[in-house]
Amino acid sequence: MSENNGEEKLLAVARHIAKTLGQTNNNMADDILQIFSNFDGRFSKEKLSDEGVGNDTVRCAALEQTVNSLDRQISDHLSSENSVCCNSTAFLSTVDELVSTIEDWSPLSDDKVVGACLQRADDILQQAMFRAEEEFRSLMEIGGESFDVTRNSDELTQNGSSLYDSNGEEDDEEEIDGDEDVIPVAKAVVDYDVVIDALPPATVNDLREIAKRMIAAGFGKECSHVYGGCRREFLEESLSRLGLQKLSISEVHKMPWQELEDEIERWIKASNVALKILFPSERRLCNRVFSGLSSSSAAADLSFMEVCRGATIQLLNFADAVAIGSRSPERLFRVLDVFETMRDLIPEFELLFSDQYCSFLVNEAITIWKRLGEAIRGIFIELENLISRDPVKAIVPGGGLHPITRYVMNYLRAVCRSHQTLELVFQDNALSLKDYPKHDDRLQSNSSFSVQISWIMDLLERNLEAKSKIYKDPALCSVFMMNNGRYIVQKTKDSELGTLLGDDWIRKHSAKIRQCHMNYVRSSWNKLFGFLKVETMAAKPMKEKLKMFNLHFEVICRVQSQWFVFDEQLREELRISIEKLLLPAYGSFIGRFRIVPELAKNSDKYIKFGIEDVEARLTTLFQGSGGSNGGRK
Amino acid sequence: MPATDYQGSSPSSLTNFGRSILSFRREQVHSMEGSTLEIELDSFQQHVTDRFLDLSSVVQDELLSLKWVGKLLDCFLICQEEFKAILHTHKAQVLKSPLDRMVSDYFERSVKALDVCNAIRDGVEQIRLWQKLLEIVLYALDHQRSVGEGQFRRAKKALIDLSISMLEDNKESASIAHRNRSFGRSNGGRDKDHIHHHSHGNSHTSHGNNSYQHRSLGHFRSLSWSVSRNWSAARQLQAIGSNINPPKANDLMATNGLAMSVYIMNSILLFVMWSLVAAIPCQDRGLQVHFTIPRSYTWSIPFLSLHERIMEESKKRDRKNACGLLREIQQIEKCVRVMSELADSVHFPLSEEKEGEVKQRVQEVSHVCDALKDGLDPLERQVREVFHRIVRSRTEGLDSLGRPNNAE
Repeated sequence: MSENNGEEKLLAVARHIAKTLGQTNNNMADDILQIFSNFDGRFSKEKLSDEGVGNDTVRCAALEQTVNSLDRQISDHLSSENSVCCNSTAFLSTVDELVSTIEDWSPLSDDKVVGACLQRADDILQQAMFRAEEEFRSLMEIGGESFDVTRNSDELTQNGSSLYDSNGEEDDEEEIDGDEDVIPVAKAVVDYDVVIDALPPATVNDLREIAKRMIAAGFGKECSHVYGGCRREFLEESLSRLGLQKLSISEVHKMPWQELEDEIERWIKASNVALKILFPSERRLCNRVFSGLSSSSAAADLSFMEVCRGATIQLLNFADAVAIGSRSPERLFRVLDVFETMRDLIPEFELLFSDQYCSFLVNEAITIWKRLGEAIRGIFIELENLISRDPVKAIVPGGGLHPITRYVMNYLRAVCRSHQTLELVFQDNALSLKDYPKHDDRLQSNSSFSVQISWIMDLLERNLEAKSKIYKDPALCSVFMMNNGRYIVQKTKDSELGTLLGDDWIRKHSAKIRQCHMNYVRSSWNKLFGFLKVETMAAKPMKEKLKMFNLHFEVICRVQSQWFVFDEQLREELRISIEKLLLPAYGSFIGRFRIVPELAKNSDKYIKFGIEDVEARLTTLFQGSGGSNGGRK
Repeated sequence: MPATDYQGSSPSSLTNFGRSILSFRREQVHSMEGSTLEIELDSFQQHVTDRFLDLSSVVQDELLSLKWVGKLLDCFLICQEEFKAILHTHKAQVLKSPLDRMVSDYFERSVKALDVCNAIRDGVEQIRLWQKLLEIVLYALDHQRSVGEGQFRRAKKALIDLSISMLEDNKESASIAHRNRSFGRSNGGRDKDHIHHHSHGNSHTSHGNNSYQHRSLGHFRSLSWSVSRNWSAARQLQAIGSNINPPKANDLMATNGLAMSVYIMNSILLFVMWSLVAAIPCQDRGLQVHFTIPRSYTWSIPFLSLHERIMEESKKRDRKNACGLLREIQQIEKCVRVMSELADSVHFPLSEEKEGEVKQRVQEVSHVCDALKDGLDPLERQVREVFHRIVRSRTEGLDSLGRPNNAE
């Protein structure tokens, strides 16, 4: 029947052409008909006869017949309770026929009868399209529901860690404390090389067939509207199942830090899943549903943008909120995580969103990534502030290790483990992804990052020096500087910090500590050595000197046993250096004292400390209670 | 409010309040720096006044149009740049108390505006969705041989979707609790269906009992906001507007008049955000923000007059329940209304007269579509730009305020 119908149409068109061209001249129309009949046997004179040309009813009978038949067929489909896809092939080919009939006859629509027929055909088409749209929608929904992200998470599970597990297993508390420099470790990366079939393949085929008809019939906008709505909701649900909340910037800023840390953890996971699995899957779905259409690439691109836009913006907004948030130094490591996640995902952004509709998302991602870099630099500024504004008067009793030294050194050690990222961040604000992979893996002691670090060290030293001045006793001041200097050098030497600051820096600071050591000895013991210098063997001055020595030694030992040197080795070094100077001088003094005739007899009465006693007393130095732990920040 | 307190006590002395302080200072400070600062501050005020005069010179029909909103955002960007430049030149002042507090207060306030910017971006996307539906109407009824019943039904369907979307948006603005969407889709769908049937019954688009309508209603999906469910534009505006008070005499003196520029910038920020919320759909819109600006400031006159005009607009009967006062939204609403009425009143085949009317109406829809097509993208870009600039000036501000060598 359809073949016959096609011929009818062809004939009608031929008649129409002949009639139109030959309107003014009957002979001309005849000539044209002659040409047609020579061209194809179907255009016989009989078939194109005058009755056909002259009689509208007969001419359009075929069209009417076709429209009637299509109307019947489509009405049957529409009234059936079954979904169209049960008999989709029949329905769809009816639609095809309807669309091509309308197309074929459209040039003749000026004709009243043809026009009326076409209007009916349009009406039928519209009804068919409503049904097609319904069908499209329910396929989208049923298909979407069948894919439950949590249930299917097994498929997504690689290396034993589920992508949709919202409870982070390892909650590494980053404590900047003592030698326990724990840096938050990035989550064990799951294999993201999975593309999910968000809809069953059979459904995708059905969808494509319907989409093809809707677009052919000029209902592409409706089609993409339904498509976009369903998939958007699917993505929104997926993100929500990944534990991601929708948060405004104010809410992120108000959130307690620990909660925000968890949220960041979830964000990292969700972003990876979104950019590496969900969005590529959407892209594939878009391509499949809208494939094989004349305008397919634009339709697919546009639909893809509409689907992913909201979810992408939600992800980016959170990263942005983190970037704009507090600059408290404790946040550095998490902000670094976000920065690194963004950096790692930007290639995905570029890959996924390369078309004209989506490219703005790439720009957004890069802007926000750079802003995270700024935030990191801001955190360092905040750290500088904290150090230089640390109250000078907050000193540690006994000249021990100051909490700020401990804090800053352990902080910087932890920071150095991310040196590769930080080098990038501090590169003259010129963040460029392209430099990243090429970037030298080795630490450089002349990079902008190392300049930043040595600047912070300077600030710390300045603050410590100001603090040391608060101690009234210059010897205690030296002990304080030694303690803190020692800690700084130790923490530097055995870490990447040392490589970053360089050997010269370490040498210079070791020399400073030696200087402090000398200063200490001088200010604390020189006076005592003075008493032991023998200028005259006269009894009275000798007696006086010993008395003074006893008194001062007693005081020094009493006072300095309250002082504290945290490092056993340093304590030992100090003791040895004092012993080396004191014991020979004291031994020789005592020796002479004993041979002063007036004193020899009662020398034991005057000599309060034997050599062993002095030695013993010296071991009590710097054990102090005052600064036994150095406190913690 | 402090401002009204001032006014209550001695309105006449207030007339030249700002100026008298400046001249008082001039007597005190004879340095070159003092006089350039004064010139800068005067010209800043003058520029702000000029710009707002320009904004307020808009005819009623253009007020809150896409074009006007664009101009308003431009105004904000320029003012903020000028403000930044002043702070930069007088950095020494900015680092001293009490100006340092005032400036960082402005930065914190401006951060609160970022959420408004994001919400507005969602709102623009929402309008784009409406634009798409309107384009379906246009597509159905335009470029056709002759418009038949089928095309009208198609247009009607899009119109219904459109009016539901606008209605729903408004509903959700009115009550955020409503947006408690569960992911149990079937359930949620049924609830929605229910609501829509009701609202639909009352709306002007109400007609026939076509089965497709009912089916389509339940399926309607509006965009969801990217902010959390309980975020509220009204509350955010209140937060932005809290404690914006005209500078006190001693603050003006202590800051050499710079406190005035901070006050102006605070007021502009609040006004611009308030206008955006007034114009563009967003979650829990509310316009109850008080501007207490002494009328003695020259810039306050165009400023307050605009505020008044927008408030009046929001109280108009046909605008009271609008999901946004944007002129183009009003035009969409009008299109929906007119086209729906037309669709309900036509008989087929169309009379020649009706056909002419349809053509004319379609033309109107086409104009609105064009305006949206041309205006929404630039608006979104500008809103984004405002966002970025706010972040940037705050970052720069924090960096310079916070540098250690500035420690007290």
